[in-house]
Amino acid sequence: MLAFIVRRIITTIPVMAFVALFVFSLLYVAPGDPAAVIAGDQASPADVERIRASLGLDRPYLVRFAEWSFRVLQGDLGTSIFTSLPVTQLIAQRIEPTLSLMVLTLIFAVSIAVPMGVIAAWKAGTWIDRGAMAFAVFGFSVPVFVVGYLLAYVFALQLDWVPVQGYTPLSQGFWPWFRNLILPAMTLGLVYIALIARITRATMLEVLQQDYVRTAQAKGVGQREVLFLHALKNAAVPIVTIIGIGIALLIGGAVVTESVFAIPGLGRLTVDAILRRDYPVIQGVVLMFSLVYVLVNLLIDLTYTIVDPRIRY
Amino acid sequence: MDRRTFLKTAAGTGALAAAGGLAMPALAQGAAAAKTLRFVPQANLANFDPIWGTQYVVRNAALLVWDTLYGIDSKFEPKRQMVESETVSADGLTWTFKLRDGLKFHDGAPVTSKDVVQSLKRWQARDPMGLMIKAIEVELAPVDDMSWKWVLNKPYPKMLLALGKNNAPCTFIMPERIANTDPFTQITEYIGSGPMKFVRSEWVPGAKAVFEKFADYKPRTEKPDWLSGGKVMMFDRVEWVIMPDPATAAAALQNGEVDWWETPLADLVPILKRNTNVSVDIGDPLGNIGAFRMNHLHPPFNNVKVRQAVMTALNQEDYMRSIVGDDDKLWKPMASFFTPGTPLYTEEGGEIMKKKNVAEAKKLLAESGYKDEPVICVVAQDMAATKSMGDVTAELLKSIGMKVDFVATDWGTVGARRAQKTAPGQGGWSMFHTWHAGADCVNPASYTAVRANGEKAWFGWPDVPAVETEVTNWFNAKDMAEEKAAMGRLNKAAVENVVYCPTGFYLGYQAWRKNVSGVTSGPFPVLWGVTKA
Repeated sequence: MLAFIVRRIITTIPVMAFVALFVFSLLYVAPGDPAAVIAGDQASPADVERIRASLGLDRPYLVRFAEWSFRVLQGDLGTSIFTSLPVTQLIAQRIEPTLSLMVLTLIFAVSIAVPMGVIAAWKAGTWIDRGAMAFAVFGFSVPVFVVGYLLAYVFALQLDWVPVQGYTPLSQGFWPWFRNLILPAMTLGLVYIALIARITRATMLEVLQQDYVRTAQAKGVGQREVLFLHALKNAAVPIVTIIGIGIALLIGGAVVTESVFAIPGLGRLTVDAILRRDYPVIQGVVLMFSLVYVLVNLLIDLTYTIVDPRIRY
Repeated sequence: MDRRTFLKTAAGTGALAAAGGLAMPALAQGAAAAKTLRFVPQANLANFDPIWGTQYVVRNAALLVWDTLYGIDSKFEPKRQMVESETVSADGLTWTFKLRDGLKFHDGAPVTSKDVVQSLKRWQARDPMGLMIKAIEVELAPVDDMSWKWVLNKPYPKMLLALGKNNAPCTFIMPERIANTDPFTQITEYIGSGPMKFVRSEWVPGAKAVFEKFADYKPRTEKPDWLSGGKVMMFDRVEWVIMPDPATAAAALQNGEVDWWETPLADLVPILKRNTNVSVDIGDPLGNIGAFRMNHLHPPFNNVKVRQAVMTALNQEDYMRSIVGDDDKLWKPMASFFTPGTPLYTEEGGEIMKKKNVAEAKKLLAESGYKDEPVICVVAQDMAATKSMGDVTAELLKSIGMKVDFVATDWGTVGARRAQKTAPGQGGWSMFHTWHAGADCVNPASYTAVRANGEKAWFGWPDVPAVETEVTNWFNAKDMAEEKAAMGRLNKAAVENVVYCPTGFYLGYQAWRKNVSGVTSGPFPVLWGVTKA
């Protein structure tokens, strides 16, 4: 197992190097000029040129890529063109809100979606099943920002239970942290409830037709045990996979959610950086996202061995 | 339902709920709330060097942290701010300035003339008026700890305006060691002598910027008026909360989670006005001037008759309604290049801008010998105002028989592409849309866009000696009458040669909670003198 983990981590290095090269090249050919944004609208072309030179943006592509790669290998993601702050610092400032949002969203989504999918499969064809799946379709179809505004209207503006916007770090207490995050987590979670519930239902339907389920039922095992211990355990591999993929998708979904609820997370950092062509920040964030993606996939693989002991590495 | 309509509806229902007493405003208001102002600025404070980066949001934040030598008031007159006194020699060549006593930087060090001189040198390199002074400068040096002199080889009557104007970059005074930084490199230490200290440890670019009251600030005793007078801060702490989403900002203001929103979306203003806890009024009385610029270097707009044809067909109302909607208080037509309502405003020679005349435009286009060259119209779709104006222009050009190649892109790309001098078919451009802050267009001092000095001019590179002559005449004017005369001739020359096309004058609102008092209109948010119950 340890050898597998080490091997997997080593194989991520070329993947990430390729991602880095791709992103770096993409930014190089993309139009847009951070120096023009910095200089302001009244600046002369000569001013813009001097700022570009001071930022090193006038140097050849290969030189810039080589320097950046060398720094990255030393754990230095560079300095933001706009803020003059280290990219690692900017990411560190923003990682907690995004991680918090992702974790709370997953807890919220999984704790609702898995039972919903199991029950829908158990009651297949009934109004419960149809209702659950209609809810799932709704969750998947309605844009995140629409859900966000509706929830903010009801729970923040009308009922005044939670704030409209902002983020309170966990270090300032669980309750303030939770109050700020519950609406964004519900907003983002709705999409994943839909996704996970549908996969759970489909997989469970398949498993519930297996002989061992019939045997368990014939032996008089209780319905709850049959569903959640026998069947769900055997349906777990695809569900775990979809939850894992969901984590990666959450990063994208978080961009809109963070904007709607004014959460200072990585999503907003990325969008801001792209709009301003803040190359070092874009590169740093993309590199980090790709690392997260690779690690999530590794975790999924490892989880398989827990939920299905027949799987060995 | 499109997203914009949805935002309006969502925010609207929130307003009704709030107006009906369903929402309680106590959410975010703690015991110390009256000492903290939560302000939603127009944009993200992404960097904090007001000389290196000249975005308005940086200037606005800098006005809290760094003080200026002079400050203009609402009559556009420069008044002493850090300066105690000034003298100018009879020949107008030697200026001597003296600092006020007791001025301190946030690190406790006294403000000295060495700090001022170095700060002025850094400012000069980046400011159009600073560069003009530099060109006639013999010496800029300290006389003693509190005084410095500026020796010129030619009089510069607009000296005090240069030192007190609110256009970025302003004459922000920094400690000498910080002001030693190359003007094209960003400073990393944010120490000023202004009324607030910047709390760097709490700065999260893109999310939050925090300022704390500077206990040792010594405000002037005069009544505050824009950049002049006493900048007395009534808050211990000012928090800038960056909110990229207008509907969220509207909801947060209705809910009392923020106190003041600098630039509410025009669509959301009617909703905010219905909320009994929120006040809404014009923010910047100097507003903005919508504009599109044509490339004077290449066909078809290197031909003055083609430019005149476009200006003749232009109806400013079409542009303004596309930006501000139906609110007639928010816009004005302007047969001028200058900011309406300001002392030097002139419409001399602007008749062509007053009446849309498509037939006349077509005639002019035919006379010009236009050869059906495509107009590469580069439009930033991520800016509401530029997108609206771009759509109107595309129809305008087609209506007079011009071929349009509409390039929909983002502002970052427009910013880079407009610097290209190559032909439109080879990566260049024919026209792009933008706007100018009315505060910059009050007179020629900081009005880069109206300059027509060819290669040195702003994008589009107009070359009109008659305009430049009048700019010089204005700078050399000895009294108001001479200034007005020069401005009239300047406007006429700019219209005749279509330096660029103004598309109208428009204003924006600001909104604040009713428990906040002392909010005034200004070309920047005036946070001093504001209190909160």
